[in-house]
Amino acid sequence: MLSFVLRRTAAGVVLLFVISVLSYLLLSIPDNDVGRQLLGNRAAQDLVDAKNAELGLDRPVLAQYADWLSHALRGDFGTSWFTGEDVLQSITTRLPVTLSLMVGVTLVSAVLSLLFGVWAGVRRGPIDRFVQILGVVGYALPGFLVTLVIVVVFAVKLGWFPAIGYIGFTESPSGWLSTVTLPIASLSVAAVAGVSQQVRGAVIDVLRQDYVRTLRARGLPPGRILFRHVLRNAAAPPLTVLGLQFVGMLGGAVLVEQIFGLPGIGSMTVTYTTRGDIPMIMAIVLFTVVGVIAINLLVDVLIGWLNPKARVS
Amino acid sequence: MKKITRGVAALAACATAAAALTACGGSGGEGGSSDSLTVATMTLPQSLDPKDAAGSAMPFFQAAYDTLVKREPDGTYSPMLATEWKYDDDRTELTLTLRGDVKFDDGTPFDASAVKANMERFAKGGGGMAKTLADVEKIEVADATHAVLHLKQPNPAMLFYLSDAAGLMANPAKFDAAGDPLKTKPDGTGPYDLDSGKTAIGTKWVYTADTGYWGTKLPYKELTFRYFDNETAIVNGLKTGQVNAAVLQTANAQARIEKDPAVETQKQEFDFQGILLFDRGGEITPALAEPKVRQALNHAIDRKTMLAKIQQGRGEVTNQVFGTESVAFQEELDSYYSYDPAKAKRLLEEAGYADGFELKLPRISAIVPDALASSLQTYFKAIGVELTWDDMDQSAVRRIFTDREYSGMVMNMGQSANDWVAIGELVLPGTFNFFGTTDETVQKLLPQISGVAAKDAEAQLHELNRHLVEEAWFVPFYRLSYLHVSDGSVTIEPQSGMALPSIYNYAPAE
Repeated sequence: MLSFVLRRTAAGVVLLFVISVLSYLLLSIPDNDVGRQLLGNRAAQDLVDAKNAELGLDRPVLAQYADWLSHALRGDFGTSWFTGEDVLQSITTRLPVTLSLMVGVTLVSAVLSLLFGVWAGVRRGPIDRFVQILGVVGYALPGFLVTLVIVVVFAVKLGWFPAIGYIGFTESPSGWLSTVTLPIASLSVAAVAGVSQQVRGAVIDVLRQDYVRTLRARGLPPGRILFRHVLRNAAAPPLTVLGLQFVGMLGGAVLVEQIFGLPGIGSMTVTYTTRGDIPMIMAIVLFTVVGVIAINLLVDVLIGWLNPKARVS
Repeated sequence: MKKITRGVAALAACATAAAALTACGGSGGEGGSSDSLTVATMTLPQSLDPKDAAGSAMPFFQAAYDTLVKREPDGTYSPMLATEWKYDDDRTELTLTLRGDVKFDDGTPFDASAVKANMERFAKGGGGMAKTLADVEKIEVADATHAVLHLKQPNPAMLFYLSDAAGLMANPAKFDAAGDPLKTKPDGTGPYDLDSGKTAIGTKWVYTADTGYWGTKLPYKELTFRYFDNETAIVNGLKTGQVNAAVLQTANAQARIEKDPAVETQKQEFDFQGILLFDRGGEITPALAEPKVRQALNHAIDRKTMLAKIQQGRGEVTNQVFGTESVAFQEELDSYYSYDPAKAKRLLEEAGYADGFELKLPRISAIVPDALASSLQTYFKAIGVELTWDDMDQSAVRRIFTDREYSGMVMNMGQSANDWVAIGELVLPGTFNFFGTTDETVQKLLPQISGVAAKDAEAQLHELNRHLVEEAWFVPFYRLSYLHVSDGSVTIEPQSGMALPSIYNYAPAE
């Protein structure tokens, strides 16, 4: 297991480097006039040229990249071209927002998917059909529509939750809960719909196995069969999907953070990418890639731990 | 097996109950109390260093810094850090009398040398508005409370600039500090101090009242600006009282909030939208050198229908680029060009373009939505002008300004009460007249206008405005109507020349 983790980590570092080069090149391709954007449409052209030179944008792209990399390796990600904030600091203030959403949605969807999936897989019949229909509907509804309806109903009409904004957990735990509940709820709809179907399918598959029939024949209590044997063997597909959901959630977070006005990484990515703020985007890219690698590793380790058979393969 | 499913169901019920319980704790927002004001904005200041300040981000700066001159809501000027100002006879020397009792937080006195240091830094600092001080030749420190601005030539917009970005006064002791701390930690003499602990630059700026402020204290102990990149979130925030005040620009957001009985709204006509024609010399599109061709473009479009359909009637049709508060404004020029495709065709024929011509314009979709893009195409096609749009990201503006690839562009432009601000941007060679086109009438009128106060040059300003309309320097569509919205707890006074009002213009509702 240790060598597996080490191998994957080494591959991750290589991946990180390749992605950083590619991202930097891709960011440099568009005909971004950063100086003009910084100074505005009303600025004189010589000031714009001077600003571009000040940012080093008149140098070859590879020289710019080398410069960026040497600083980044020393932990210096620079300052944002557009707001003058320290890149590392501004990412660390926004990361908790997006992580709250991602972890929250993952927990909620893990618990609810397990409940719905097991319920449907074990009981079958009308309950199963009901859960399946829910799954299809939940997956088919456009995310923005779900989010807007949730905001209008629970924040604007009923006033149970704030419609916008974020309160840090350290500032006020109850405030934090009130600000993240609706965003998590709206992101969870599609996640629960997807993962619960995986749980259901996997549970049904395992229940059909010969060894389950044998266990039942030996008179083991149904609860023990389900928790000790069935769920362990059924864990791999839902966990993989859950991992993918977690990674893919950054896309969903963009929308949800915009609608709820949350100061997270998702909305930040869009704002800074359209402006071509290379120091900021590069740091976001690096953090995201590290997150993706870590999650994939975690899912693999978890599956291996739950199901020894997977470790062998 | 039944037992298990019952357990599962019970768990599910618990989860639902837990969700319902937490829900109860959720009401209440940050905005509510009358001691604090939360303003939503879609403007993101580049930094809080005055050298980077721009007019649209002024409220962020006004909280921490004072300007030399205060601009009142109606556009007139009143004392702030400067108590008096006086021009000499040929209007090239502006003497400012300064307050002598103002200090920065660390005890550094505000005096004439601070004015000199600030303005010189602003002019050389490379910010977008640096050029507004281009006419200032040197700044003389007469004594601690008197500074004299020596101008290369008269500039009727100088007081406007001193009430805007160029007039913001920061603590000179911070100018040479390593890492430019003013970017994120402003240090001025203003009514508020930035609360760095509560502020998250880029999303939320929290200011607390400076108890030792020299001037009239503002009614709020805490002032918060929140940045949003879409109006949907702002509307939701207003409806739930988490945002107290905001300005809404899009017709959809305005329509959504107007129906809400709890909110207070107030209209302001601010930007005008239209095609700024740059290429009046015909370098890229030879046809545009002909005034008749430019007039034809003006006659080709049905502004009333465009306003009704695209902007839901929110605004006023116009043919002039000067705003209603300026001296140059003349109401009759709003309807100078009627919708008359037949006349447009005739004008094209007379100019020698009976078969029409091709016109390529850049399209920034935030400014030119689909509906506007296709209506302009249809109107122009009807008179034989083939309009093609080059879709571009907001970031590719280089091709407009540096590469000069286009003969014009559709823009939304703020309308200042100060005539010379508009002239500087649209008529003088430079920013939006980068081909530097001009003509005899303009050259004759400009010196007559620049040397005197606007009200003394009314005839010349009227003549200039009429000339620009008749010669069709531009193809304006309409003045857009913006909606100032409050959650009912604030009264907002719109500010002349600014979309987001000055911070002095908010007060608790009676």
